[in-house]
Amino acid sequence: MSPALSPAALPTPENLALTELFVPAAALFVVLAIMLFYRAVAGPTTQDRLLAVNVLGTNTVVILALLSVGLDEPWFLDVALVYALLNFLMAIAISKFTVERGGVL
Amino acid sequence: MAAKRVLVPLSDTVTVRQTVGYAVRAALEETDTVEFHLVAALPYDAAVPEGRSLTEDAEQLLTRTENWVEEDVDDTDATVEIETAVVGTNEYLFGPRDFAEVFEAYATSHDIDRIVLDPEYQPGQTAQLIQPLEREFDALGLPYEEAPVDRPARHERLIGGGTERFDQLFATFWISYGFYLILGDPTYPFDLVTGAAVAGIVSISLAYVTFTFPLGRLRSPLRTVRFALYIPYLLYEIVKANLAISVVILRPSMPIEPVLTRVNARVRGGLPLLALANSITLTPGTLTVRADDQRLIVHTLIPGARDDLFDGALERAVRFVFHGRSGARIPTPRERDDTEIIGGDDV
Amino acid sequence: MIDQLQFWAVLLCLAFGLFFTFVSTVGVLRLPDVYSRAHTASQTDTLGAGLSLAAVALALGWESTTIYTVLLLFFVFLTNPTAAHAIARSAAESGITPLTAEDELESETPDDGTSAPGDTAVNAGEEGGDHA
Repeated sequence: MSPALSPAALPTPENLALTELFVPAAALFVVLAIMLFYRAVAGPTTQDRLLAVNVLGTNTVVILALLSVGLDEPWFLDVALVYALLNFLMAIAISKFTVERGGVL
Repeated sequence: MAAKRVLVPLSDTVTVRQTVGYAVRAALEETDTVEFHLVAALPYDAAVPEGRSLTEDAEQLLTRTENWVEEDVDDTDATVEIETAVVGTNEYLFGPRDFAEVFEAYATSHDIDRIVLDPEYQPGQTAQLIQPLEREFDALGLPYEEAPVDRPARHERLIGGGTERFDQLFATFWISYGFYLILGDPTYPFDLVTGAAVAGIVSISLAYVTFTFPLGRLRSPLRTVRFALYIPYLLYEIVKANLAISVVILRPSMPIEPVLTRVNARVRGGLPLLALANSITLTPGTLTVRADDQRLIVHTLIPGARDDLFDGALERAVRFVFHGRSGARIPTPRERDDTEIIGGDDV
Repeated sequence: MIDQLQFWAVLLCLAFGLFFTFVSTVGVLRLPDVYSRAHTASQTDTLGAGLSLAAVALALGWESTTIYTVLLLFFVFLTNPTAAHAIARSAAESGITPLTAEDELESETPDDGTSAPGDTAVNAGEEGGDHA
């Protein structure tokens, strides 16, 4: 990878534009996430909602990662990592509770 | 008096000799004409490479036990017939239910009166089978008895011997330490010390939960390397499937054709099955709905994805990861007739 | 020069990541039942997240935080199919029967007012059914 990207690198036009790409991209991902809300609200079954929320969660992880570059906040990636694990746990836990004997895995 | 027919399922254990001895004694106490059916069940079928060596082992075991029965019968004046058989050669036996069904089929076709079980019965390299097998026999209504044997003191099977224990601790320690240092800073002494402490606690408390199987010192690193080779291949498959699905979804007519299929995968054990089921789900177009033993119920969305599934490329790749290149040379699920299209109600 | 290359690589990764997430979102909204939606959900998990995180890694360059994105992708790849499987299994356990190609044929013909799209789906269904 190019060494030009260390924080000390000169603010070349490309370099400036590079981080500026990420905030609009994150905004577009948010639009997609809002579209997914329709499925999360409309259902019709619990599993549909769960699936939509799960995809939304993955979207959120991506948005967090994009923002960490776009806003230059590296610790957003830690949040994203924890969120990814929580997202998984949530999906497993809820699908376990919807089944009588709890045997989804 | 009618001849008594006794079925003895055999596997190579420390107590197999005693079990055979007991079966002979108990049967001869009741009648003088006995038919012994010595049966070895094979977990793998002959089509997969590891099945062939097992078949030879089983045949050797059968000859040995046949001699034992003749020995035991020699000093009595009973009439004894011995029959040996290897069953399950054209199937892939997985759980206790499969074994119980095979034995039940044998018992009904040969009109068996009694089954004598070896308390250490353990076909294949998997964990002990005797208790779940007995439960399955109960459920099927088969009369069985367990041979009373003196068994040598057994060490804790799950944990294994000293070196096995050490290997598990060692692997868990370095994996968790490495993970800690990736998240932390490997050049910062504080992180090095706390990481070692945390990894120590984790490995001592969780090593036997993490690795429920013995680690091979050569095999496990080799599997890791082969897994690294598998990832680019999986990515290639994912990209291919993604493009196919995208085309279908974006077409205004959306020509999907959802079909539920059942595939019997030739993949054994927790980790390989997890790898296969997850790879199938990761590939858009195929979704594992259920994984009961090696029977996977897969929901497929488009015909192309279904064909890929039936061609078993992912299955072969997973077998390559866990069994090496020779293990990957197996017929496709379609060729072995292990695929089936099922209705939506059979979930 | 290298900056230029990097810029375009990041842009491409972001664009395709967005595209696949968009397809996945459309799929989740359009597809008829929970099982088929689960298929397209995995597009977000694989190429959508994968390409976006690749863009993040490319933009960060060779830094310690780059490992985070790789780790993140690894977790997403490991956990999301398991979650999708759990959801599908829970749907199956709670008695939701999947729509299959034959059902579609039955359900599409009565309300014929919906016209051509249904017919195409049925035709494709029959073709596929023959050689599968």
